[in-house]
Amino acid sequence: MTARTIGWAGLMGAAFVLGACQDRTSSSDTTGPAARAGRPARWTVGMSQCNLGEPWRVQMNRDIEASAAEHPELKVVYKDAQNDSLRQRSQIEEYIGAGVDLIIVSPKEAAPLTAPVAAARAKGIPVIVLDRRVLGEAFTCFIGADNKRIGRAAGEWVVRRLGGKGKIVELKGLMTSTPGQDRNSGFREGIRDSGLEVVFEADMKWLEPDARKEMESALARFPKIDLVYAHNDPGAHGAYLAAQAAGREKNILFIGVDGLPHEGRAYVAQGLLEASFEYPTGGREAVETALKILNGEAVPKEITLASRVFTRENVAAGGEWLKRP
Amino acid sequence: MKAPSSGASQGGVRRALQSSAVRALAALAFVFLLGLVFNADGSFLRWSTHRDMLRHISVFGILACGMTVVIITAGIDLSVGSLLGFTAVFFSLLSLQWGWPPGLAVPAALLAGAACGLASGGLIARFRIQPFIATLAMMVFARGMAKWISGGRKISTAVQLPDGSFQYKGVPGFFQSLNSKLLGENIAVVTLIFLACVVLTGVLLAKLRPGRHLYAVGGNEEAARLSGVPVGRTKLLAYGLSGFLCAVAGICQAAQEQQGDPVAGSTYELTAIAIVVIGGTNLMGGKGGIGLTLIGAMTIGYLEKILSINAVGEAPRLMLTGLIIVGAVLFQRVRK
Repeated sequence: MTARTIGWAGLMGAAFVLGACQDRTSSSDTTGPAARAGRPARWTVGMSQCNLGEPWRVQMNRDIEASAAEHPELKVVYKDAQNDSLRQRSQIEEYIGAGVDLIIVSPKEAAPLTAPVAAARAKGIPVIVLDRRVLGEAFTCFIGADNKRIGRAAGEWVVRRLGGKGKIVELKGLMTSTPGQDRNSGFREGIRDSGLEVVFEADMKWLEPDARKEMESALARFPKIDLVYAHNDPGAHGAYLAAQAAGREKNILFIGVDGLPHEGRAYVAQGLLEASFEYPTGGREAVETALKILNGEAVPKEITLASRVFTRENVAAGGEWLKRP
Repeated sequence: MKAPSSGASQGGVRRALQSSAVRALAALAFVFLLGLVFNADGSFLRWSTHRDMLRHISVFGILACGMTVVIITAGIDLSVGSLLGFTAVFFSLLSLQWGWPPGLAVPAALLAGAACGLASGGLIARFRIQPFIATLAMMVFARGMAKWISGGRKISTAVQLPDGSFQYKGVPGFFQSLNSKLLGENIAVVTLIFLACVVLTGVLLAKLRPGRHLYAVGGNEEAARLSGVPVGRTKLLAYGLSGFLCAVAGICQAAQEQQGDPVAGSTYELTAIAIVVIGGTNLMGGKGGIGLTLIGAMTIGYLEKILSINAVGEAPRLMLTGLIIVGAVLFQRVRK
């Protein structure tokens, strides 16, 4: 019995080691298209992405790639931290050691990455922080979008669209995550003082199959639902499929957040979703800001990205910019 | 409901199993009763709620069928969630983007799933690698393949053209039919596929000679070997069948999502194991049956459904699920 127990303990240990590797499947070092252009690049930029498991982050890297491809003087090196703060820390240290001209980092967490970013600054390497923050001021420029503002814009849009009255289902991301909390509280601010009522809310953990399951429950409970607000587009798509299976998709409007070209925007263009609110990746802005810094121009300490709303009417034309507050 | 039967040669096993089935049914009845009490303004009393529960649990149930066979051989298959993701992406790639007809895409996906299962089985049977480790390696590897062939994106009807714009294809009829309902809209097609998988594995386990070999290998591998059971081939069968069923589940998942998601199926292996264990199939092997797994699937399905229609928050939901799994398993072990 003891031998078996020890055996199982060993197996569990091995499971932890291997299991931790489960998401580490994307290539960790790839070179951007600029390097393939033939001409020697003038500057090398190191990009550290916290993980490539989410389509939104895959898109961020593609946006950087596409933007950098227009500037042959830039060579971008990519590393994927595979959702591991310590791995991301060593990537920054590797970039410092390699003497890159600039670092772009989209951190997994603020605290563990503050010191390495500050170390890069101390060596005189400019650092652009994308989407998630680091603590303190020891970075060159922060670029990110504001989930709360996007949630509020979605809420205000819904108030206008429904004429201030109606029953709403809210399919939340993960309420233990900041984007989930902000997309929720912003939306609630946006619909406050209107006659809109959230009759059913559930956590779908950003996952489409879970959204479909929760929507089935909402459909079972409420004979009348006017609109579904999902914290991401896959969630809205899952809700649409649930309503379609119940034959009720024509009487319900579906809106989501993120607006990725191959997800939210595609769903809107196909007429499944009524609207998708963009959560911009900032990839293009990061490359533009990097060029300014490298050319010695001044850049603001913080850039808040504007976002667009994509509706059936405007998706082909590239969406409509949400007004800045 | 199909009564579980072991097909094992020992007469005592059958009686023990029957009491297992009774206990599994009691756990199911308890959860069902919870639903009657917390019926969410009568939602639980409508058939559509039960139909939706059965639809949702079908994919997990199909994985659990393969898991049952593997667990009966005293093994475990941790790769089922990743293989579901890989085959869902592979099938979507073939049919949504390359336009293969279902007559080619379905067998190709099934073959891919079975081949991955056979690969794990080969490592276990031929190279004597622990099932836990071999299928853990396959879990990581298959997730990598899913991300590789999809480029990290969902494979959907939106096809990107070389100039960056998107072309929207229609959802193929085969996807629509798998995603629809039959018998007067009263049962989902995927549920019927799940039931077909239950019958298939049930016949294998209870009626066929390889089925008896599965029990023999799980009960006592050395004794089985000495009495002439082809142990290696039996293990290959178990893991190959599990891989095949993963592909069936992957195709159902892709049809229901109308896309292939490279991260689909993450942690599904844990739900599949929970279904098998709650049903009462013994993790030590040699005992159990597919009927128990069917009951286990419904127990988990009802539990999730009741928490969902009552819009219970995420944190209490996780804690309640954990408690009920422990409760059900302890209940299984009560000696009379």
